[in-house]
Amino acid sequence: MVADVVRAAAGPRIHVRGAVKSFSGRVVVNVEDLVLGDRPIEGLIGPNGAGKTTLMRMIMHSTSLDRGRVSLLPPGGGEVVLSSLPAHRMARHGVVKSNQVIMDFDKLTIWDSLLLAVAESRYEQPQRILSERTVFARHEAEIRRHLDFFGFGDPSAFAMSAGEKKLLDIVRCLLLKPTFLLLDEPTAGLPDDLTEKVMTVVRELAATGTTVVIVEHDLNVIWNLCDEVHFMAEGSVILRGDPQSIREHRTVVEKYLGEGHV
Amino acid sequence: MTLDWLDAFLITGLFEVVMVIGLALLLHLQLGLARIANFGVVGFWGIGMYVFGVLYVQVDWPFGEPWQFLACAAAATVVAGLAGLLVGWLVADLDTDGVLVGTLGFATAVQILATTQDDLTGGARGMGGLGFPYDIGRVKDNEFLWLVLVTAVVGAILLYVWRVHRSPYGRLLIAVGSNEPLARSLGKPTFRTKLWLFAVASAAMGFLGAMYGVMVRFLDVGNLGVGVTLAAMVGLVLGGTARVWGAVVGVVLTVGLFDIVIQSYLPLPREWYTQAIPVLREAAFGLTLMVVLLFRPLGLLGDMRRDRLMGKIHGR
Repeated sequence: MVADVVRAAAGPRIHVRGAVKSFSGRVVVNVEDLVLGDRPIEGLIGPNGAGKTTLMRMIMHSTSLDRGRVSLLPPGGGEVVLSSLPAHRMARHGVVKSNQVIMDFDKLTIWDSLLLAVAESRYEQPQRILSERTVFARHEAEIRRHLDFFGFGDPSAFAMSAGEKKLLDIVRCLLLKPTFLLLDEPTAGLPDDLTEKVMTVVRELAATGTTVVIVEHDLNVIWNLCDEVHFMAEGSVILRGDPQSIREHRTVVEKYLGEGHV
Repeated sequence: MTLDWLDAFLITGLFEVVMVIGLALLLHLQLGLARIANFGVVGFWGIGMYVFGVLYVQVDWPFGEPWQFLACAAAATVVAGLAGLLVGWLVADLDTDGVLVGTLGFATAVQILATTQDDLTGGARGMGGLGFPYDIGRVKDNEFLWLVLVTAVVGAILLYVWRVHRSPYGRLLIAVGSNEPLARSLGKPTFRTKLWLFAVASAAMGFLGAMYGVMVRFLDVGNLGVGVTLAAMVGLVLGGTARVWGAVVGVVLTVGLFDIVIQSYLPLPREWYTQAIPVLREAAFGLTLMVVLLFRPLGLLGDMRRDRLMGKIHGR
């Protein structure tokens, strides 16, 4: 079943051209020409080592490109060359990514982590040491809405379990108000009820104009959520299509799914 | 004011303790929050001291005190801040080893410059001619008032650092120290944050250097050795790098214990005071650093408790 998200307006897209990345002489990603975001929710699947996470990191410029170009194409026209921007400028352009490997600030509590995500840079200056209450008052309701939805416990505590840290990562991304959201295995390690909540949030985001691209090994998430799926193998995107056609494609079955899945 | 009960040696010792607490608090922002291992504290402090001294002594100022002091101290603070900006720009994106070597190299460069530019600084001969920006009577009275003033300055630094822990800026510093790539992915300009931290902390270190120059009234390149950095670093590590009060507790237990209690109240042989005591001091501080890092790496006060703090200011 495909979500068939109807979005209010066209969302931004990302155009990857001639993007190459090698590690120790081995080409990990070699994408000739790829547009992500023609449809509201797209999936990126492929076997381990296909280069999916590296491609995501190249888009975010947290991994530099050997050559090539990654651009953001906003719905109103124009082009922002993401591959020439420093990594911290991505969020300002609405391009946000959750992390495949669990990443957290080990010294910061849940409150801290989420307030950090929402705090405007003008409040984070050395001379603005009295602005905590202002930032908290501006964003408390929004943060609490997310905390309640995902069923977090005491936000003044640290995120302890892997699942809690994974969700915290997703909530941080949501608080950044992304227009183009990349989710790298967002439901890995989450129980079914939380996976369902993540999928609900993704659908809501897409319906309001955010483009979402999901890398995921839980293929039920991909088949249930995505309008379009890209199949990646050996560093390149070799197929794209609707979930049904990708699921049944001979190459995908041979290289990734296996006969049993069909 | 009768200060007969107060030993002149005690005033100097207390000044040293208070000043090192100030330096350790500033180092706490860098090392304890943003995890920047600045081993060049003495360089920024020394730049402040020497810029102040050179301007104070060598320039023929058209106005008297306290304006002369204020102008020279302001210039010293600005120059130390600019030095922090430059050093920060060079080392902020290096790993811990790189920051350590870079800042240590900077401090060495400052000492060499102060020694070799002797037409300005007096070089190894030292430079006199500095004085208090006021005169309220005896030298001891002037020194006591200066001790009160530096205590007020360090109190302000303590208050600032305490507020930083409770501000979005402090949270950003902790995030940068804790997981810089993740902070960047949230749109935080981590390089710029570290750069400004270097500039602000270095400027304040420079101001404390200028205040020290006034207290001793004689600039000696011997002060620009590793002693000041070691005192601030050991004090902070002993108290706890991540805690606001770590700097205070640690410096009192190291510099306070050694410079005041041991030197003033223990019956040490007279001849030790010229050569042996400074060496013993550095050896004792080095040993303390090793013991603390081996047996209590988070210091006496332990790690920061953001859970308690957040629970207190924002609730559940």
